[in-house]
Amino acid sequence: MNRNITRRGILRTGMATGGAALLTPFSASRIFAQEPEKPAEIIVRAWGGDWVAALKAGVSDRFTEETGIAVRHDLTEDNEIQPKIWAAVAQGRIPPIHVNWDTTTNASKSALRGVTEDLSDLANLANTTDLAKPIGLDGYPIVNTYGYVYVLAYRPEAFPDGAPKSWRDLLDPRLKRRIALYNDGIGFHFPAQVAGGGSLEDIPGNMDACWEFIREIKNQQPLLGEDPDFTAWFQNGEIDAACTISTNALAAKKNGIDLAWTVPEEGCKFDTDGLWIPQGLPENELYWAKQYINMALSQESQQIWLDGLGLPGVVPDLTPPEGLENDPSYPTKPEDFENLIRISSKIQIENESEWFAKFKEIMQG
Amino acid sequence: MPRDSEDRSFRYPLKWRIMDGLNAALDLLWPRRLGRYTGWALLTPALLLVGILVLGLFQIAENSLHTLDTSTFLPGEEYTLANYLIVAESPTYWRIIWRSLLGAGLTVFFTLLLALPYSYMMVRTNKAALRKTLLIVLFLPFFIGQVVRAYGILIVMGSSGAVNDALGLVGIEPIRLLFNFPAVVFGLVQYMLPFAVLMLAPALTAIPRETETAASSLGANWLKVFRHVILPMAKPGLVGAALVVGTLSLTDFAMPAMLGGGSQDFIANAIYDQFFRTADQGLGSALALLLVALGSVIAGVVIAFFGAGTLGMRGRK
Repeated sequence: MNRNITRRGILRTGMATGGAALLTPFSASRIFAQEPEKPAEIIVRAWGGDWVAALKAGVSDRFTEETGIAVRHDLTEDNEIQPKIWAAVAQGRIPPIHVNWDTTTNASKSALRGVTEDLSDLANLANTTDLAKPIGLDGYPIVNTYGYVYVLAYRPEAFPDGAPKSWRDLLDPRLKRRIALYNDGIGFHFPAQVAGGGSLEDIPGNMDACWEFIREIKNQQPLLGEDPDFTAWFQNGEIDAACTISTNALAAKKNGIDLAWTVPEEGCKFDTDGLWIPQGLPENELYWAKQYINMALSQESQQIWLDGLGLPGVVPDLTPPEGLENDPSYPTKPEDFENLIRISSKIQIENESEWFAKFKEIMQG
Repeated sequence: MPRDSEDRSFRYPLKWRIMDGLNAALDLLWPRRLGRYTGWALLTPALLLVGILVLGLFQIAENSLHTLDTSTFLPGEEYTLANYLIVAESPTYWRIIWRSLLGAGLTVFFTLLLALPYSYMMVRTNKAALRKTLLIVLFLPFFIGQVVRAYGILIVMGSSGAVNDALGLVGIEPIRLLFNFPAVVFGLVQYMLPFAVLMLAPALTAIPRETETAASSLGANWLKVFRHVILPMAKPGLVGAALVVGTLSLTDFAMPAMLGGGSQDFIANAIYDQFFRTADQGLGSALALLLVALGSVIAGVVIAFFGAGTLGMRGRK
């Protein structure tokens, strides 16, 4: 074959290569800056079970494929990694992880403490909705990556008359010792305030209605646990209803448990999780950790990751997972949020200790 | 002459020569003139470990004197006793402290109740097969971690577990056996039993069999022998076992967390909550110091009155 190499041909090839590069998630950095040295791996803290499986499929595997950098998932609990990171930053040590997948409330504490890196230069932030921005914090010390609802999950066979309509339905005597809440009360305080006859506007000033309703619930002798417990308890037939994140209910359903969930008339708490990077990483590792989060905000990663979690993301036009379209646990339109309760992280973290102590006081009695 | 050549060809056995070599090396490293300090040298690693623990306690004590500033999530600058005041004024913490003490007390009682006959049979039986079986049954769960054992209990005693299945065979509806205080005590007793047997067995072995035979030949029945001979002579073992089981139970975290269903916290669970859930390290430190103080006082009182049993100290006469 005889090919003539012309000036126009070289220009065309250059344009085509450049255009293709622009379509990749790392285009800007590749074109405008020299990529820093790649570490052999980055460590991402994650929740286990279906949670980490979804992250791996949606973000970590794609990141490794694109960059060649392995991703190790550290399944240390979010609450337990926090003091380790704080201690590492305070002592000027390299933190134990590169990226922390965290609740927005927990992450906000770290942001207030000043141990988070600024993420406002991530290219994919431009394509995110307002949900990505942490409320009450300057800039982007963390990036919210999806929202979730603390639904009322229930076993349909225990509710032959149909889905429970109110949180007060949990007070039915036949549900004694058959319900479960989170062991710090998270997700339950705000609907309890409404179910107890109070008003959301009174939070945090007057939460008597909330505590009164939680006292009533206490008489039902609920089980108190964490994410994996709910799935196990439903699976082992220990409980008939629980206030839990819809993802756990979805996971239990995937495991073959007949489970449904609803948003009762008093509403459900809506909250967000996010990703953040602790301070103290070497420059090159910080760069690649940022690229990891940037990828997590890409349309493709959000679609795969959140299909696994069954949760609404922070980029527009994601396709809801099968069966979750118009589901109350998958709010996307403004009207979907009407029955969901969202209280700012600032109020939550300022009052968390007090609420926790009060919840414990009632439940440990 | 032949004898002389035999002497010249004589060589000490290899083991002896190795020991001589080691002795010579030891002389170089630790000359004989330092012999009077040998005890201290042997103690040094342990003292270093205890020293690190004490340093940690000082750090915890310092932390406990600062309250958490929730606007920055850093400890406040001021020194204050506010964290101790929070504990003192909180009915929740008093309840948790009382539950921990009661749980530890009941665990000691039931564990010793089960461990004494078990140990007695183990050391007194003439059948080697039975002794081995008892040892294996004792040590098998010992090699499994506490968390795995608690999971085992969750499976066996759950609403659809083996125990409820067995109850179902005699027409009893499934009952909630888990996630309550008795379940926590049950888990602790199950966990502590090998510790107690290990502490008791040497004490029982030390009781001469002839003493029991003498008591019997003087007309004492089995119960009297047990009451007047075995029990008093096994006291060092009982005290040592009670101390170990009591302190481990008082500070336990996993059993209340896993078998208590979230509403049967012990002090260790409350400490965890403050350190890891609310990020209030000051309050967590105050609770941790109170737990150390509580455990130390109880152990001190027991040792003062009964001695430390097989742990090797003598009590008040």
